[in-house]
Amino acid sequence: MTQVKRVAGWILGFVGFAAALLLTWRVFTQSLDLFDGLFNDPSKASTIDLFTEALYIGIAAMGLNILTGYNGQVSIGHGAFFGVGAYASAILMFDHGWAYLPTLPIAGLICLVVGILVGIPALRVKGLYLALVTLGLAVVFPDLTKRFVDGTGGTNLISLKTEQISPPYWYDWFPDFIADPLTDYVGSRDQWAFWLTVAVAVATIVTVWFISRSRFGRALIAVRDHESAAVTVGVNNARVKVSAFAISAFFAGLAGSLSVLVSRLANAGKVETFQLSILLLVAVVVGGTATVWGPMLGAFVVVFAQDYIDEQDTLTDLLDPPRAKLMSPALFGIALIILMYVLPDGIVGGARRGLRSLSRRRAAPIDA
Amino acid sequence: MDQLEQFLQHLMNGIEAGVIYASLALALVLIFKTTGILNFAQGEMALVSTYFTWKLAEWGLPVWIAILVSVGVSFVGGALIERVVIRPVEKSSALVIVIVTIGLFLALNSLAQVVFGTDAHLMPRAYPNESWDVFGVNVEADTLVLVAVLAAECALLWYILQRTKVGLALRGVASNPDSSRLVGVPVGTMLMFGWGLSAAIGALAGSLVVPTTAGLTAGSMQSILVFAFAAAALGGFDSPLGAVVGGLIVGVANSLTTAYVDWLNDIEIIVPFGLILLVLLFKPAGLFGKVHVERV
Amino acid sequence: MRNLGANRLRPLVLVFVLALVFAACGDGRNDDEESSGDDDDTEQTTDDTVDDGEEPAEGSDLIDATDCPGDPTTGVADGTIKLGTSLPQSGLYASFAEILRGSQAYFSYVNEELGGVTVNGEQYQIELVAEDDAYDAEQTVGNVTGLVNDDQVFGLFNVVGTKNNLAVREFVNENCAPSLFAATGAPAWGNHEYPWVLGTFLVPYPLEMQALVDYLNETTPDASIAILAANDDFGAAYVETLESLVEGTGLTIAATETYDTATGEVASQITTLAATDADVFLLGATLTACPTVLNELAGSGWDPIVYMSGTCTSKTLMGLAGQNGDGVISVAPLLDPADPANASNEAMTLYNEKVAQYQPEAAADNGIVAYGWSAAAMLVYTLENSPELTRESVMETARSLTDVSDVGLMLPGATWSVGADDWFLGEQFNLVQYSAADGFFSAVGDLKVYDDQTEEVTPESLVNG
Repeated sequence: MTQVKRVAGWILGFVGFAAALLLTWRVFTQSLDLFDGLFNDPSKASTIDLFTEALYIGIAAMGLNILTGYNGQVSIGHGAFFGVGAYASAILMFDHGWAYLPTLPIAGLICLVVGILVGIPALRVKGLYLALVTLGLAVVFPDLTKRFVDGTGGTNLISLKTEQISPPYWYDWFPDFIADPLTDYVGSRDQWAFWLTVAVAVATIVTVWFISRSRFGRALIAVRDHESAAVTVGVNNARVKVSAFAISAFFAGLAGSLSVLVSRLANAGKVETFQLSILLLVAVVVGGTATVWGPMLGAFVVVFAQDYIDEQDTLTDLLDPPRAKLMSPALFGIALIILMYVLPDGIVGGARRGLRSLSRRRAAPIDA
Repeated sequence: MDQLEQFLQHLMNGIEAGVIYASLALALVLIFKTTGILNFAQGEMALVSTYFTWKLAEWGLPVWIAILVSVGVSFVGGALIERVVIRPVEKSSALVIVIVTIGLFLALNSLAQVVFGTDAHLMPRAYPNESWDVFGVNVEADTLVLVAVLAAECALLWYILQRTKVGLALRGVASNPDSSRLVGVPVGTMLMFGWGLSAAIGALAGSLVVPTTAGLTAGSMQSILVFAFAAAALGGFDSPLGAVVGGLIVGVANSLTTAYVDWLNDIEIIVPFGLILLVLLFKPAGLFGKVHVERV
Repeated sequence: MRNLGANRLRPLVLVFVLALVFAACGDGRNDDEESSGDDDDTEQTTDDTVDDGEEPAEGSDLIDATDCPGDPTTGVADGTIKLGTSLPQSGLYASFAEILRGSQAYFSYVNEELGGVTVNGEQYQIELVAEDDAYDAEQTVGNVTGLVNDDQVFGLFNVVGTKNNLAVREFVNENCAPSLFAATGAPAWGNHEYPWVLGTFLVPYPLEMQALVDYLNETTPDASIAILAANDDFGAAYVETLESLVEGTGLTIAATETYDTATGEVASQITTLAATDADVFLLGATLTACPTVLNELAGSGWDPIVYMSGTCTSKTLMGLAGQNGDGVISVAPLLDPADPANASNEAMTLYNEKVAQYQPEAAADNGIVAYGWSAAAMLVYTLENSPELTRESVMETARSLTDVSDVGLMLPGATWSVGADDWFLGEQFNLVQYSAADGFFSAVGDLKVYDDQTEEVTPESLVNG
């Protein structure tokens, strides 16, 4: 009798799983009605691209958070890993004719290896000095690309054609009821980039969530808070720290690879790479260090804030047009400063504090 | 010019560049030493001070007076920045403070462009641009003046920090603000003093360094900043002497590499950072820095 | 134990039933989505792939617009032609924004005093939408795609920066959006695969080298040349062209050094080059690196003939070099607004008057403002000579400009043409020499005429790389 029950259980379980998938698919396509205007209007491509940018910055920021938030190793050089990922994909597509999708994991893996190579010497360097050595990464990387990358027009820029970053043809192979909506919502470049980035972002969030709850995650925190104590409880500090570098580099590499779909290029310059590294760090801190969701939220805040500031025309009343745009970095800087005053723990940290104080008030005992 | 002369000239070029890096590195080190903060905005604070010096000279002030006024105003400005911008986040984590200094960096650079214009300006000189031929090597007055100023600054800092009560209070606040508060040291004032002093050093550095380059632009300090960071890291972030030595090493290493190592063509910037890494592997707090012993 | 099994099954059954219900209900709507999806597909092609490499047939149609997505009169509405540009308006290169002042002054003059541009019998106002990219190629891509897709501009004008233009030329080409007068002198704009991009009238960097070699062959035919160039494509254009041009002449290259544009460190390189004691020094630099090098040169004790890139001929930069800029040779495609001898020139008078009127904040004697004015004038000229106001027609007109003269602040007597094979405009210019005492550049010899020679002179890899 138990055998029959077990088999029945398996069959029902399998059927239930398939049903759950179908249900998810239906929810997905139905909710897309909400985005219909956004996705099927080619003039909204830049809005979608903005979301995609926020997402892949968020992916890189979540990676950086593993290293800086959970493991306490401050890096102001992750723009370099991002760049390695971007160039890996761009070079494979441009010089070797690869399709985009296979380049994504390769970019991540290459960055993983580079992360290990950086993490090993980083073992001996701590705190402020580590931050500066990583700054060195951000500064040296563009020069390396100038020297070794043979890009478009003799520069270190690799510019890609639209067909290279366009959606692949293979989803036509799916049965119609999946393929047709797919064409509706993944059919053009901006949609493809967006949904792929969403998929990678979800995978990243899940991974980071698991890491934060795992033994490795606790080891990361232990090493951050008290290295000597961590050793005594059996944590292999070196392995943990190097792994943190490797994992954070991996995600930065994935993000860099995805960015190629939006920006149509791989580029590196001292100013740009440095600013990107800072942007990632800002996203982590603004969102909340050592939280799962924080960096993603921080990335959205940072990317949308920058866009909003760039669009501002109010200053053109005070300053004539060429000078009004000069203020954009100042506005962004001031916004950062104010944000740090208001939410020094970041958004997630601040939200947690808020909730805690709310629940404390509710649970406060009434003294007679 | 024979080989030896060339080599000496390259060495001299390196020292010229090195004292420039050291001048800004000194300000970075001082802020770190007195407040424990890595101030990304140091270069831009110096930039604004330099623009101020330029403006004063434009308005007719003799250059030396303009520099002195600018240094004084920068002292006050630096103290105010500490009080208004940094104080609210003083108790937060180091990362938060770094983000605030980054915000300050962006704001100051952009505002300088709005107020003073985006064109390059000719920076007035405090002294004539003399140079002498010493054994075939071109030695510039700029270098000698900067060396002298650096030496004076180091001596002054040493005296203030080691031999005065104010200095003692500063060091106390840097190492343990809470205990210092308990003994009656006005912690806030001391922090303001530290920032003011760094800003003043930065103002002097900018006003003397920028005339040696061609033109005062919004980017004048940014190219120096990276090397200044490298110099400070090399020498040890809590050692003024380290800043000077670090600056010289970075300058000379850069110069000699560009001149003699062709296979590093276009990627010479690897050298200063490679050096830092090397030094840090053996001396984790820089050449002259103090290693903090972790109590278990 | 039994209860556990039942508990586990219940939610699964629920999910199963719900899923079936949804799947059944949903199908009807699915069909509706499919049909509307088909309509949308045609709209989506604006951003989709377009066959690349439209090779224009020699002689007949210069532009093959058969595969062009979008409406050929995009951006023309209500008597206004909307154009877009992306250039640095913030950050370290914000000084380039001054170009806009010159252009806006010209457009204001045309819009308000001449009633607008006259194309095909009708008058149109010109509107220029300017976006900031802080000289970052990635931002340029975002700006340009936004301008073309969202803002639906007719075309682009005066996009600044070699990398910036390289980053968007695929997109511009695929969408058949004219990018006129791309503001760089790079040889890359001669690439025949990208007919929708027209480079500006700045003297192409390789052509500067031809002018230099010709000048040297006349004056000092056995000269040795030492080179300092920026370590990017800009510098490479000078170095590679000069190397190929001196072959077979009496000129030799003594040494070549590069410098990093970000750090601006040049002292070591000058020392090394000074040690060669070459007769001529080629300075392939831009922005403040030029005066920095000139100043370093003064201290090195080496006194060569100095040739400086045409991009450095601004009053500001030469002012920073002061006495050390005396005697420096360069090229100039336009009249120098800082030269008082030009003040009586009709075009210059108009320029000074209108800039003071419409852009009082601008410094009219700044060469970059004069450039913006002239570029705008060229644009208006191109529009007015286009038989129709469509993208294809305007681009063909731009591609076939012939003997353009006296537009903007062009040199008197100069004519510019875009050849069928050689797509460069600025091939007639003056060789000029700076006088520190006067504070401006004066012409050396007669007008230099190099029509259709840029592509000949440039190493092929620089054009088609």
